[in-house]
Amino acid sequence: MSEFDALCANDAELGQLRTSIREFLAADRAEFGWQPAVDCWLAKWDPDFSARLADAGFVGLTIPAEYGGRGLGYLHRYVVTEELLAHGAPVAAHWIADRQVAPALLSYGSEEQRRRLLPRIAAGQLYSAIGMSEHGAGSDLAAAQARATRTDGGWLLNGTKVWTSGAHVAHQIVVLARTSPLDPQHRHAGFSQFIVQTSTPGITISPILLMNGEHHFNEVLFEDVFIPDDDVLGQIGDGWHQVTAELGFERSGPERILSTATLIFSAIRALGDVDDGVAADVGDLVARLISLRQLSISVARTLADGRDAASRAALVKDLGTRFEQDSVELVADLLDYVEEPEPLRALLATARVHSPLFTLRGGTNEVLRGVVAKGMGA
Amino acid sequence: MNELAQLVDDLCSRSTGDELWRNLEDTGLARLTTSQGAGPLEAAIVLSGFARRTASVPIAETDLLAAWLAGKAGLPVPSTGPLTVAIADATEVDGRLTGTARDVPWPSSTVVLAARTADALHVGLVDATSHGAIKFDVAVGELRTVDISVADELTRRGAWARCNQIIGALDAACEMTVAHTGERVQFGRQLNKFQAVQHSLAAMAGEIERARAATALAVAAAADYGFDHPATDYAVTVAKVAVGRAVNPVTTIAHQLHGAIGVTAEHRLWLATMRARSWVDEFGTTASYARRLGRIALTADDPWDVVVSCPAPR
Repeated sequence: MSEFDALCANDAELGQLRTSIREFLAADRAEFGWQPAVDCWLAKWDPDFSARLADAGFVGLTIPAEYGGRGLGYLHRYVVTEELLAHGAPVAAHWIADRQVAPALLSYGSEEQRRRLLPRIAAGQLYSAIGMSEHGAGSDLAAAQARATRTDGGWLLNGTKVWTSGAHVAHQIVVLARTSPLDPQHRHAGFSQFIVQTSTPGITISPILLMNGEHHFNEVLFEDVFIPDDDVLGQIGDGWHQVTAELGFERSGPERILSTATLIFSAIRALGDVDDGVAADVGDLVARLISLRQLSISVARTLADGRDAASRAALVKDLGTRFEQDSVELVADLLDYVEEPEPLRALLATARVHSPLFTLRGGTNEVLRGVVAKGMGA
Repeated sequence: MNELAQLVDDLCSRSTGDELWRNLEDTGLARLTTSQGAGPLEAAIVLSGFARRTASVPIAETDLLAAWLAGKAGLPVPSTGPLTVAIADATEVDGRLTGTARDVPWPSSTVVLAARTADALHVGLVDATSHGAIKFDVAVGELRTVDISVADELTRRGAWARCNQIIGALDAACEMTVAHTGERVQFGRQLNKFQAVQHSLAAMAGEIERARAATALAVAAAADYGFDHPATDYAVTVAKVAVGRAVNPVTTIAHQLHGAIGVTAEHRLWLATMRARSWVDEFGTTASYARRLGRIALTADDPWDVVVSCPAPR
C-alpha cells in the first residue's frame, strides 16, 4: 500500500468510497438542484437530502450494522464528510445526530437507546440538537447551572440553554445539566447528560437570529421538564467526562477546515488568465489548505488507532478555523480578477456573516490555544 | 527508525565540526542513500535530526545531491570527504560553457558543477572556493551530459532536503523557547504563565505541526515513488510553500519570547532561527513554489482534486 495515498485518505477502499460519494453528489445535485453553500453544516437544513444521502449509504458510516449503520471506520467517515463539505451539500439536518450523538450513544448509551435511536440516525431521519452553553457558561462550560433533580421514575430538568443550533426543528436535544450541586473544589463533577424530546411539555424554544436574520440558534428554556430514566445518557455524574472525551474527533475534523471550501473553489474556478502575483496568492491559499488537511488526517489516523491526540486536535481547530476566516478575505481580493463575480459575491456575503462563528463554536480559539500551550508544558 | 534518530543524537552529543563529520563517515551516515542502500525515510530522519541538534554538516549536499548527481552522470567523485553542488544556468558558445553558480552551500567541499543549458544538464568537477559564488568557463567536452530532467530532480531533492532540515531547525527553536519561557521569571511569574505568551507558544506549535504534516507527505511520496515522480513533485511543491510560510512566524515568535538574549552570538537560538531563514530561500523561493502550485490549481479540472491528492496529469 502506498503511504502517500494513505496520507491523502485515498488508498484502496477510501478511494473507492470517495468516487462513489462524488458520483452520488453530482447525480443528486443534477436531479434536485441544490446550490453549493458555505457553512453548509450549520446553514443548509434539508431533510429530503439527508434521507437520500442515508438511502445511498452515506449516513451512519461508523454505526455498526446491527444498529442500521455501515460498520465502517472513522477514516471512511472522514472521506465522506470532507466530500460533502467540499461540495457544499445541505447536510445540517442529520449533521449533529450523525457526528456527535451516534458516537456518544455507542460509547455511553444503553442498549435500549442504541436500538431505539441509532437506526433512525443511520436513516438520516433523526435530528438532534446539543444543549451545552448557557447565558453564564460559554467558554467556561463548568459554570452551567441547568439542573436535573430526582423525581419518581426520572428527573425534572430546569434551566436555560443558548446557541442551541437547530433546536426548533430537531426531534431531541442532548442536554448537559447538573445533578449534584457545584463543588468549587471539583467543578467538573456532578454533571449528567439527558436525551430530551423537544415535544416534552415545559420546553420553550425561542429563536436567536444571526446578524442577517438567519435562524439557526435558539434559546431553550426548560421548566420542570420530565425526563424518564430511560433517557439518561451514560452514567449520572459522568457528564463532563462524556462530553469532553471525544472532543478530539470534533476539533480535528474536516468541518474545521472546509466551511468556506465552496467559496474558495468557486473563486479559483472562475479565475481566468491571471498574472504571477495572483497565481502565487492562489498557491498560498491552496498550500495552507492542503497542509491543514494533512495535519487533520494525521490526527484522524492517530485517533482512529485509539491513540491520544488532544493537543494536536486543538491545534487543527485553531489553525483550521483561522484559515476559514482568512480565506474569506483572500477570496474577496481574488474577485477583482473574476469576470462575472456576482454569484460569488452572494457566497462571500454569507461567508462574512458566518465567519466570526468559525473561531467560536465548539470552544473558542483562545481556550484551544491554552490547551495547546499546556500540552507544551506551559 | 528510532535507532537511527538515536544514533544522530548520540553523534551530536559527543562530537562537533570535523570530528562529527569523521563520525558520520565512519557510521555511513554521510552517504546514507548513495552507498548504504537507505532511502528517503532514513534520509529525512537524519536531515531533520541533525538540524534539530543544530549540528552543521553538509549531509544533504554530499549524499542526496552531489553524490547522487555524480552517480547519474557517471562522474567519479572522492568516496570520502564532503561534497557539494554548484547549480547554475550556463551559456554555450564555441564549445565552451560559461556562467556563475551563486549561493553554493559549503563551497570549500569538493564541488560538483551542475550547469544547465536549454536542453541538457552538464556535470563535472570544478575548483572549490572559500565563498559562495563559483565562476566557470569550461569546454563542454570536459563535462558529462545528462538529461535535462535530472536538473529538475536535483532542485526537487534540494527543496525536499531543506524542508526536512527546516522542520528540525524549527523544532529546535521551539524547544529552546519552551525551555526559556519555563525558566525566565518576570513580574514574579514564569513567562509561560502569561496567557499572551501561551498563545504565542501555541501559534508556534501550530505553524510547525502544519509544516511537518506537509513535509511528511513529501517524505512519503519520495519513499513510495522516488524523487522523479509527479506525486513527489506535487508534495514537494506543497511542502516548500507550507514550510516556507512557517519559518517567519516561528522564528519571529522564538526571538520575541527569548527577549534580547536570543539575538546574541553567545546564545544558541540563532543556530536554529538563522539557518531556517537562510535555508528557506534555497532551491527556489517560497513564492516561486506558491506560483507553481497556484498554476496547478488554476488549470486543474477541479481545484479540490489538487487539495485531495496529486492531480492526474492532463
